[in-house]
Amino acid sequence: MQRRDFFKKLGTVVAVSAVAPMMSFAADEKKPKGPNEFSYEKAVEAITDGKGAKTSSKITLKVPEIAENGAVVPVSVTVDSPMSESDYVKAIHIFATKNNNSRCLAVHLTPANGKAMIATRVKLGGTQEVAALVEMSDGTFLTASQSVKVTIGGCG
Amino acid sequence: MEKVKSLIKIKPKKYKDGEVVKVSFMVMHPMETGMRKDKKTGKIVPAEYINSVKFDYNGQVITTMNVWESLSANPVFTIYMKINGAGKLTVSFTDNTGAVNETSTKIKPKG
Repeated sequence: MQRRDFFKKLGTVVAVSAVAPMMSFAADEKKPKGPNEFSYEKAVEAITDGKGAKTSSKITLKVPEIAENGAVVPVSVTVDSPMSESDYVKAIHIFATKNNNSRCLAVHLTPANGKAMIATRVKLGGTQEVAALVEMSDGTFLTASQSVKVTIGGCG
Repeated sequence: MEKVKSLIKIKPKKYKDGEVVKVSFMVMHPMETGMRKDKKTGKIVPAEYINSVKFDYNGQVITTMNVWESLSANPVFTIYMKINGAGKLTVSFTDNTGAVNETSTKIKPKG
């Protein structure tokens, strides 16, 4: 990359990141390509309100390391939490970081669940990372991710 | 649209009051992303995916989910739930075409 190209790109990146928080979640959903394009970084920023998330060992993300078929990849997320009225997991989000629309599932839990664990099956377009973003009741965000090798893509 | 097959499974089958059980909700749904092309006609298959899922236990909403198209076809949603008296568990979902479906099962704790 040429030095001047680099500065041009840097300029647009700075401009986009400055404008992005001002745009509402709904405005972000207008996409030029595909029916529902939404990148991982954008989604995390929109959910955490720009605060970002901390990597935590409290989250257990279970995904197969090698998925033979990307169309069906089982994912389960467990969060170490007492799930009491004062301290519980508010939401668990699952992302496929390189899918066209990275958002897969957002689960909003309540203390009535008793245990903070969810499981589902996702589609993966290719080899990529699967990430979980957890919102705790005190407003903090935790994250965990694991890479998955996909031999046959599941999208398209 | 033909009738959507869906099923609620509770594990373990016999449970007591206050126990935390695993609830799996399975749906037969194509979950089309709207990006796939039909190989015969070459036309894009229109998007059809589940938007939201709601778990309702005796009138109390215990879990809601926002769903996007990256979930696999015929998805499974598994959560845990604390048994709190006999009653009814209702799981409903809507998809982006506006279809609404509801399934319910009886909750009968023993002992």
